[in-house]
Amino acid sequence: MEPNRNLFIPVILGTARMGRMSLHAARLVTEELGKCGGVETDLIDIAKLPLPTNDAGEAIKQADFSAKMSKADALVVVSPEYNHGYSGLLKHVLDSCLKEYIHKAVGIVGVSAGPFGGTRVIQNLLPVMREIGLVTIFWDVNFSSVQKAFAGDGRLLDESYIRRIDKFLKELIWMAKTLRHGREQVSLG
Amino acid sequence: MANTDKMICPNCRVEMNHHCDKIVYNLDTHDARKTEPDRGGFIEEFHSCPKCGGGASRHG
Repeated sequence: MEPNRNLFIPVILGTARMGRMSLHAARLVTEELGKCGGVETDLIDIAKLPLPTNDAGEAIKQADFSAKMSKADALVVVSPEYNHGYSGLLKHVLDSCLKEYIHKAVGIVGVSAGPFGGTRVIQNLLPVMREIGLVTIFWDVNFSSVQKAFAGDGRLLDESYIRRIDKFLKELIWMAKTLRHGREQVSLG
Repeated sequence: MANTDKMICPNCRVEMNHHCDKIVYNLDTHDARKTEPDRGGFIEEFHSCPKCGGGASRHG
């Protein structure tokens, strides 16, 4: 095994809506990930992925997104809660890959304008993550009343989120390291 | 019948680690892989390179 190979943990922003407050949350998590030693990250905005909508699944795999998922050791998915669910475009994007995700960790950041911080969208995403081969961690980040958490320019107004993100990322990085070891060294037998 | 040949990393030329089998429920009409009737899908094997971390898969 090559020693000192950095982890790659991209952040997927799971909405294309205009005025999306999840963008601020995704930028903040990406910024905090970037401060972690031995971790490389990237913010992937699904609104910028040129995926067609006249087909779905691996048939529409986009080379750059696929390469990033292959390189990734873990993912962070930032998802707003729309009518208790996730955006259709996020599912469309996630479904475009499969082998790229197998035995990799994922942490979910829920975002909502109401008081529950995207807990329902996180619950709805868990079976999807499991079926595509990702391994969910048991820490989430919940941005409730997101319009109060960030100023209009994206500045964080509630510093307590930094501590929560730190806990979440520590768990995600531990899982990313452990699963990398498993993928590369532990045989199915 | 399961493929027992070791997969070799195309980048590093080392033996890859077989770490996962998964049923894939593929409905893509342009995917030639055959659905196994008793499973409703087909088994895909997933392998990772212990040197570079690269992944690969094949029909199991």
